[in-house]
Amino acid sequence: MNFVVSSSTLLKHLQTISGVLTTSNSLAILDNFLFHISDGMLNVSASDLETTMNTSLAVEAKDSAKICVPAKLLLDVLKNLPDQPLTFSFEDNFSIEISYTNGKSKMVGFNGDDFPKLPQVENTTSIIVKGEIISSAINKTLFATGTDDLRPVMSGVFCQFSPEYIVFVATDAHKLVRYRRTDSQATGSSSFILPKKALNLLKTTVKGDEKVKLEYNDSNAIFTFNEIVLTCRLIDGKYPNYEAVIPKENPNVLTVDRLSFLSSLKRVSIFSNKTTHQVKLKITGSELAISAEDLDFNNEANERLTCSYDGEDMEIGFNSRFLLEMLNNLETEEIKLLMSQPNRAGIIVPADTDNENEDILMLVMPVVINRN
Amino acid sequence: MGIKRAIVHMDLDTFFVSCERLLDSRLNNKPILIGGTSDRGVVASCSYEARKFGIHSAMPMKMAKERCPEAIIIKGNSGTYSKYSKLVTDIIADSAPIFEKTSVDEFFLDVSGMDQFFGCMKYTQELRHRIMRESGLPISFALSENKTVSKIGTGEAKPNNALQIDYGTEKQFLAPLSIRKIPSVGLKTYQTLCSLGIKHIHTLQDMPVELLEHTLGKMGSSIWKKANGIDHQPVVQYNERKSISTERTFDRDTIDIVKMRGILSAMGENLAYQLRRAGKVCACVTVKIRYSDFQTKTLQKHIPYTAADHEIIPLVLELFERLYDRRVLIRLIGIRLSHLVNGSFQMNLFTDDSKLTDLYQAMDKIRNQFGDRIIMRAAGLEARTIGRTNPFNGEPPMLLANRRV
Repeated sequence: MNFVVSSSTLLKHLQTISGVLTTSNSLAILDNFLFHISDGMLNVSASDLETTMNTSLAVEAKDSAKICVPAKLLLDVLKNLPDQPLTFSFEDNFSIEISYTNGKSKMVGFNGDDFPKLPQVENTTSIIVKGEIISSAINKTLFATGTDDLRPVMSGVFCQFSPEYIVFVATDAHKLVRYRRTDSQATGSSSFILPKKALNLLKTTVKGDEKVKLEYNDSNAIFTFNEIVLTCRLIDGKYPNYEAVIPKENPNVLTVDRLSFLSSLKRVSIFSNKTTHQVKLKITGSELAISAEDLDFNNEANERLTCSYDGEDMEIGFNSRFLLEMLNNLETEEIKLLMSQPNRAGIIVPADTDNENEDILMLVMPVVINRN
Repeated sequence: MGIKRAIVHMDLDTFFVSCERLLDSRLNNKPILIGGTSDRGVVASCSYEARKFGIHSAMPMKMAKERCPEAIIIKGNSGTYSKYSKLVTDIIADSAPIFEKTSVDEFFLDVSGMDQFFGCMKYTQELRHRIMRESGLPISFALSENKTVSKIGTGEAKPNNALQIDYGTEKQFLAPLSIRKIPSVGLKTYQTLCSLGIKHIHTLQDMPVELLEHTLGKMGSSIWKKANGIDHQPVVQYNERKSISTERTFDRDTIDIVKMRGILSAMGENLAYQLRRAGKVCACVTVKIRYSDFQTKTLQKHIPYTAADHEIIPLVLELFERLYDRRVLIRLIGIRLSHLVNGSFQMNLFTDDSKLTDLYQAMDKIRNQFGDRIIMRAAGLEARTIGRTNPFNGEPPMLLANRRV
């Protein structure tokens, strides 16, 4: 059978789902796209068993067919073709021929029935969320997820739905981000942990103005938006009780200009130890002193910033990487750093907010400063 | 060709014995053994009078006692020796341009260029006399072009003497000596070489380097270079500690798991304290055990940077659990913390770190004021004899037992 499709449209669709492909697949068949043609629609899937992405587009076709097409070959040839109609023809022995203006190329595919089937996701709950909420929730939380294989639950983002709000939480046990939206609600209460890979794929494909339909049960979640369907397996396990570790009272409040704090930190941290990245904040009156040293090379840096501070004089150490990531992921002009003790968690929140439906809280554990 | 280097190796003669004699002159001219007094102990140092009986360092104390029953046996006190070692170090630091302290009683000095003003030999002789005058301890040295030749030279100069090996005569000097004198030729290598019929350095000198590399691998070319008096190692003033460790040999081999777990806890607790005292964190923990048949096994694990008891001790016990898989008596257990960097402990959100760090800071404060053993986990109370010195004072580690001359 054969079908005709525009090369650039096909490439665009393939590229949105090609993020699923990995170089180290457990099954050789997963190095392919599954092409499923029926009723003038081409449905393409890519999968790594954990995550599967589908996209569909209209093509000129009379018959229906199901075949696996080698992904890398196809992407490479499409990238190097100017926009033009392509004719794909499939033979019964799974050979694939692509004809275009200058000539044609041939490759060998595989039986479409050998491609792993999508899991049946039953008894789902569904919710419609604005794309903008999904994309900002992912952008604000993903950096705080952990990489420890021994604690898989922390490698994902915890999503909690309730009639009042929806919450996204990420933590690696040293830092934590809680992103709460009150402009989107669910009917019942439920929660699950989304894996990092699916979130990264959503981050690049969700543009912001679409509606995302989210269906989930105990083991899988399905995101449907535009022509794309993303199915992923949820991370199994119990998420740590994050509410319990968020301090209720942090009486020492530092308010500082975000960008000047950020750029000072960037400069000072250059002189911190290359493996620990530790910096020290010393707040006295309305002055914030940032310092770092690397004893091995006798490097050190000190900077001072004016800030407004309400609380006791404080000396506290942090991993500068954590602070930089957090400040980078906020947008407001000023931020607040709420502290209680040099060995208790510090909280970073935006000082003012443009969006009253949005509530961001970032928590960072300090490093112990030697007080002896 | 650059300037010829002038490297001095200084070594305090029978250092521990000399220290004891300073404290008690009745010990002069008598055979003396210093080391572990139990049957398991080894001779750490012995006087020249005792050496006549065929006793040498690292010999089991039991055997030494049989060879020389009239010898006076002293347990040794590392505190005293460290004190005298520091006294000598201070004198050398006061006058030498660059020096490296390689152990309690050994120093390398780089006196290159001194010829212009003082004369290398004359200068070093004066320094030697000053050390003997001010500390009362006999010291020997050798002066040559590099570290290896000087170190071997000191061995030849002893006791209480000095030696200069002129430029160009290094090979002749080394030729007649036993290969055992080359640093890094231990018992094993010595046996291997002996079985090849190599006993003296001149044989090594005449051999093609490839042949040695074939037999001994990488070590071969380094030994060949040393035998030919070639050594470009610089004198390095300060050596950063790359790891800290402690180990313990039992008086009697044991399978008492409870006791061993207690000792490991105490070791872990102490090393973690040493890390915090030096403002460092580690990222690798190694546990070592030696069975009574001398099979030695180690197991290590990489962790995020830490200096906290509650992360190190459970890990040590877990590694020990996995390591101890034979139902055989254990002779030695030890811990090493490595991948050290300056920094402090990153707290965790989900363990009660705030309370624990308060606790550690309070305990460390008490220890700094009243000593290491003043406060500790009850599990480690039994472990009285583990080393508890500060490993970050810039001094090389103190070696009491199993010391090779």
